[in-house]
Amino acid sequence: MTARMKLGAFLWATGHHIAAWRHPKAYVTAGIDIDHYIQLARTAEAAKFDMIFCEDAAGLREADVGIASQTSRSIGFEPISLLSALAVQTSRIGLVSTASTSYNEPYGLARTFLSLDHLSRGRAGWNLVTSASPIEAANFGSTGLKPHADRYERAREFAEVVTRLWQGKAPGHDGQSFSVHDPLDLPRSPQGAPVMVQAGASDVGRDLAARTADVVFTAAQTFEEAKAFYGDLKGRMAAYGREPDDIKIMPGVSPVVAETEAEAREKHEELQALIPDDVGVALLSSYLSISDLWRYPIDGPLPELPESEGMKSRQALVIEQSRRDGLSIRQLARHFAGARGHWRIVGTPAQVADELQARFEGGAADGFNVMPSYFPGELDAFATLVVPELQRRGLFRRDYEGNTLREHLGLKRPA
Amino acid sequence: MDNGATMHLAVSLLPGTADTSPGEEPEFSGLAGLVQRAEAAGIDMVLLVDSAPASSNNAANSTVPFEATTLLAALATVTSRIGLVAAASTVAHQPYNLARRFASLDIISHGRAGWNAVMAQAPREAANFSRPEGFSDTDFRRRSEEYIGIVQGLWQSWDLDALLFDKTRGRFHDPEKMHLLDHKGEFFSVRGPLNVARSPQDKPVLVLSGLTEADFDIAARTADVILLESGSVESAKARFDDLKRRATAAGRDPDAVKVLTNISLTAEDKPAATADRLETQFRAKSCDGFNIRLPQQRSALDDFADRVLPELRQRGLVREGYRGTTLRSHLGLAGGGDQ
Ligand SMILES: Cc1cc2nc3c(=O)[nH]c(=O)nc-3n(C[C@H](O)[C@H](O)[C@H](O)COP(=O)(O)O)c2cc1C
Repeated sequence: MTARMKLGAFLWATGHHIAAWRHPKAYVTAGIDIDHYIQLARTAEAAKFDMIFCEDAAGLREADVGIASQTSRSIGFEPISLLSALAVQTSRIGLVSTASTSYNEPYGLARTFLSLDHLSRGRAGWNLVTSASPIEAANFGSTGLKPHADRYERAREFAEVVTRLWQGKAPGHDGQSFSVHDPLDLPRSPQGAPVMVQAGASDVGRDLAARTADVVFTAAQTFEEAKAFYGDLKGRMAAYGREPDDIKIMPGVSPVVAETEAEAREKHEELQALIPDDVGVALLSSYLSISDLWRYPIDGPLPELPESEGMKSRQALVIEQSRRDGLSIRQLARHFAGARGHWRIVGTPAQVADELQARFEGGAADGFNVMPSYFPGELDAFATLVVPELQRRGLFRRDYEGNTLREHLGLKRPA
Repeated sequence: MDNGATMHLAVSLLPGTADTSPGEEPEFSGLAGLVQRAEAAGIDMVLLVDSAPASSNNAANSTVPFEATTLLAALATVTSRIGLVAAASTVAHQPYNLARRFASLDIISHGRAGWNAVMAQAPREAANFSRPEGFSDTDFRRRSEEYIGIVQGLWQSWDLDALLFDKTRGRFHDPEKMHLLDHKGEFFSVRGPLNVARSPQDKPVLVLSGLTEADFDIAARTADVILLESGSVESAKARFDDLKRRATAAGRDPDAVKVLTNISLTAEDKPAATADRLETQFRAKSCDGFNIRLPQQRSALDDFADRVLPELRQRGLVREGYRGTTLRSHLGLAGGGDQ
């Protein structure tokens, strides 16, 4: 059997495009309607996606209230409660939620995800992030965002304790950041342990992933970037006694797909036309860790930036893109607004499938986290147009092989 | 108007008492069936206790493999009227995260969620949450009070009409109707706002349990529902009057705080005798109703629903069915929307 790609359905409120909510067909009350999410989950399950994926931020996304009020991202469901509801309204699809190691405790988080795993009978996963935003930090104390290196050190210790708890052990742990003595008071996971996903692609982020992750979610624009990341991460695994295949690397992709290329371009332009300039620039600047990008001429180049203490990998990606393509702040911002720096493909089902196939077969990805521009339209389009094309090519499953998320992803059952 | 005339009823399903036979995987569907049965009986709310982490060190014997807030979310999708209250510890969660979780549960359940905060420290919990030294009782009390204030404050981050959804003008919400908390206290510093919309029932219901008398002022100021252990009718009445007096002193309508007495029922209790017992306590104005603790077994719930409840209804002590759709409306609390 040829290898099959893994697919995640990254569900996020009205859509991944910053202006998604303004699209005439976008479901604008997504953030307060559980039935909308149940419907999306069923669409993704019917299309045999490996998993549903949810982002998370423990605070507003935008620092400026005026900017925030022009986006739909200031309110939404808390993802663990959302996925717990979806767990009993679906039967096969995996359920992965992001949660921060900076603002949780390992005992509580391990217990909560294990509970989600029992509710879903072995379909849960945790996407480990260290949280890069100072806005979140202000909801958990007065000392501000901790330095990147400190956050990752805490994350390493956190992941170690969670792993032991999921193995059913008493951690007896007294460490730098945590002390955890007893085992969990819940039975072991139906899939051995919930799946460990990680997003975070800086140097230390990659090391942590190589050590503990089952799946890595990442952002890459070009084939070369994706391939370099893939090779680098898989290359780090041997040092931790792991096989390259023990991690599935799933970059984000945001396709805009239609029967004809012209239609797809039109759909893309329709969304682009809805982005207010100030919103685009604010979104870009939040990922670059610069608060006054708006002071620079919008049609000029990106200024020199100090290295971020937030998300190092995304800052590097944007700087690289601005140099490579010689883009102005406005052009970069408009591009970034489409999917926050993730790969965007506009085209027919065959064109989208070609591109995905090239990265999958070219050693740049084990699968993709699909980030629809707006909901439900672009998820439906991917499910009805691209998935069948991938299936025809033998690149994606026609039915689930097993019942647990680990089985879908072809991951070993942990000891 | 049923306040005073009819009693409020909560049901707690005790962990460690499920029907599952040994070796069989405990199931969500069994629990869902119990809660649906309680809903069919018109019970105001089900309380989901959360086994205090590591209070029992024997995971294999745990028959509820679910943490309470995740369980609540799942139950919300298979019920439509009954209130769902989950216990969640102030040691295990940061206040921002807990406020968010419950705000989200309240939207998932269309206004039927409540948070049960326990005012007593769970033994050994702190040792698993990087607080090996634990808290002194007075610190824990001050911390709980601050914590509850933050959570209730965050639940009011968004005005009910804050969301505009105006696609054409590009205005998703009205920034004037979003409020920072800017809390800086002894134990916590929380800027806010919450990133979950306003509750369909104004805010999730706050249920306090595990109180000592030293907690009465905090409870009278903040709680929607207070659970007290049963005692003699006289002592219960004294506590009830005391709490209502304190609520009045705190500037609240005494009826805005519902005091429920915990009652444990077993299969041996006779329906008529149980009804008598509840009637006596209720008519003596020693409580606003009861929290019935039952083993997690269909037969125990059926006994209560089929034999005790009809008796109470016949005596006019329990309302016939749900009139509203939110937990606040079941409890006769303001903000319920459709009372
Ligand atoms: C593809 C990707 C997705 C991410 N998603 C989130 C998220 O949903 N919430 C969050 O707090 N952080 C997210 N992060 C960032 C993490 O917080 C990460 O641990 C931190 O920013 C450091 O990232 P770095 O290792 O790339 O510098 C994401 C990072 C990447 C690369």
